[in-house]
Amino acid sequence: MTKIVERRPLRRLVLPSRAAVLLATSVLGVLLSPCFAVDVPKPDPAGIATGDKTTAVDAGGNGFAVTEPTDKTAPDYAKNKKDFDDYQAQAAKEPLAVKLADSVGHIRIATNFAWTLNTGYLVLFMQAGFALLTCGLVRKKNAAHLMMLNFAAYVFAFLAYYAVGYAFQFGAVAVNAAPGNLGGVPTLNHFLIGSGPWGFLGGNGFFLSGPAYDAGSNCLMLFEVVFMETAGYIIVGSICERITFWGFLLCELFIGAIVYPVFGCWVWGGGWLSQVGATMNLGHGYVDFAGSTVVHALGGFTAMALAVILGPRLGKYGKDGKPRAFPAHNLVYVVTGTFILLFGWMGFNPGSTLGATDLRISVIAVNTNLAAVAGSATALFLWYALFGKPDVTMACNGMLAGLVAITAPCAFVSPTSAVIIGILAGLLVCGGVLFNERVSKIDDPCGAISVHGFCGWLGAVSVGIFADGTYGSGWNGIGAATYLGHAGQGVTGLLHGDTHQFFCQLGGATLCALWAFGATFVVFSIVNKIKSMRVPPEVEREGLDIPEFGMSAYPEDAVVTVE
Amino acid sequence: MKRIDSIIRPQNLDEVKVRLTAIGVQALTVAEVRGFGRQKGHTEVCRGTEYAVDFVPKIMLTIIATDDRVTAIVDAIVAGARTGKMGDGKIFVSPIDEVVRIRTGETGDSAV
Repeated sequence: MTKIVERRPLRRLVLPSRAAVLLATSVLGVLLSPCFAVDVPKPDPAGIATGDKTTAVDAGGNGFAVTEPTDKTAPDYAKNKKDFDDYQAQAAKEPLAVKLADSVGHIRIATNFAWTLNTGYLVLFMQAGFALLTCGLVRKKNAAHLMMLNFAAYVFAFLAYYAVGYAFQFGAVAVNAAPGNLGGVPTLNHFLIGSGPWGFLGGNGFFLSGPAYDAGSNCLMLFEVVFMETAGYIIVGSICERITFWGFLLCELFIGAIVYPVFGCWVWGGGWLSQVGATMNLGHGYVDFAGSTVVHALGGFTAMALAVILGPRLGKYGKDGKPRAFPAHNLVYVVTGTFILLFGWMGFNPGSTLGATDLRISVIAVNTNLAAVAGSATALFLWYALFGKPDVTMACNGMLAGLVAITAPCAFVSPTSAVIIGILAGLLVCGGVLFNERVSKIDDPCGAISVHGFCGWLGAVSVGIFADGTYGSGWNGIGAATYLGHAGQGVTGLLHGDTHQFFCQLGGATLCALWAFGATFVVFSIVNKIKSMRVPPEVEREGLDIPEFGMSAYPEDAVVTVE
Repeated sequence: MKRIDSIIRPQNLDEVKVRLTAIGVQALTVAEVRGFGRQKGHTEVCRGTEYAVDFVPKIMLTIIATDDRVTAIVDAIVAGARTGKMGDGKIFVSPIDEVVRIRTGETGDSAV
């Protein structure tokens, strides 16, 4: 996500004929929330006012238009005033150039819309990959159940996110983290809880109506809802083969409406965690580029809480406490699904710039692939060494582990660092799978807790270690001019001299794990007390396909007679 | 008339079929079955956890033959299915009372 704070207001509307209305609204706005701008921005549903000369920037992000400085006490007021006067004089001399800049600014936003929407479609396709992956990893008798869970995850979490999730997460994004690449969505500017740098929950745009009925906001919504869906389907991998359908639907509504948007607001919606750089001198604030924690660790630790509540599948652990394997029923699905996920990740990470005009996208794409192959190679060889044979499913888990871990740092690290992060993730996922299987005895059929939870945490911490300062200048409003004494210094990790960033990442990633696990555990322990979320034992032995949905994934296996 | 049931390794089916057709066997019924003999099952490893395969996949061949053909057929199956290791399988020969060809209603040896 682009968290570079806009240094200029994006759309200033001057409507003298409605000055009285404006004034009244402004007064109301100030009363309601201190973060309301004086000139109330209006949504742009048709997209005909989004993108003008103020969004025309050069490769370095420097604007063409200069805005009038307002703070006369600022130390560089004189210089800024002169720049503004020069710009005004130049614009008066060359009005055609200013008109042209309006087109350029519009084209920039349009390019970024196309990029963001299309990468969002790629992320959407990951849903198919995950359905195949998880279905292939379970037993044949539950294949239809797995397909239904993956399908329903998309449908119900989407509706929950549309109703309240998006507003909670991005309802105040314009306050601290306006996505400039999409025109800034200035109407999403109200915190429901908190204000200024201490926002805890967004409050504009419920049901995508009013301020969120805007072209830029809908572009952002499409991209963000498929990210939320990713967290939504991660849990399937841990709770499958034993959860009731109604219990699962409650989990999805909970993720789409509450647990995901809240943490998402803190990190991507301009909430308090993204602002700790300014408020607590912790580097650039908490930085998670594309969601190692916001999406993956959150999904992974939510899954962990649910897996603990549900308990292991029948027969998973013998009377002696030793684990038993339930072999994957279709490795073809597992590998195909993994490659679809890799393909979708080419939208997930590079798309998170929210703009093709940010040319870092090529580095991000390469880093993402490198971590994926490094993670896979590591898991494959480690399994070869430990058990004598490489395991296809673990090679796939290793690839996903690398992808999850590079998701937060992909924009901030060099390709070699990406390989190292992939290797660490490959080691961690193998250790995590064995730890859950043998020590903690949390039954995780598809390894989702290790892949998404543990490696997601690792990814966010990796930003604090490996970020090399070449990208992210001005991230979360920190160090726009200089940082650590260097002009243009971006997000920087421990290895490149910023310990503050490291501690920020460590704390933020751990907080994510605690929030996801804690909130889910409390809520669903209560639900489970009221009515068990687990299917009856006889249903679990038979397989959930017929008892839950009345059809099996492979009906030809059964002998069927018409009469 | 005899019924010859043989349980063999799935990977030996091709060799057995070639040898049987070479000696003129015209009808053959095959079933995929699972079971264990003295070989017992074996263990495999999935995601680092061992699991037992107690019932090993096998192929069961059923051939109905006139009495004079039995020895040749049994020899062909043994030749095609033998690897010399435990788990090659077994052949059971048993008498049968009657055979009926459904299409024509023929019975006895001519229906075989």
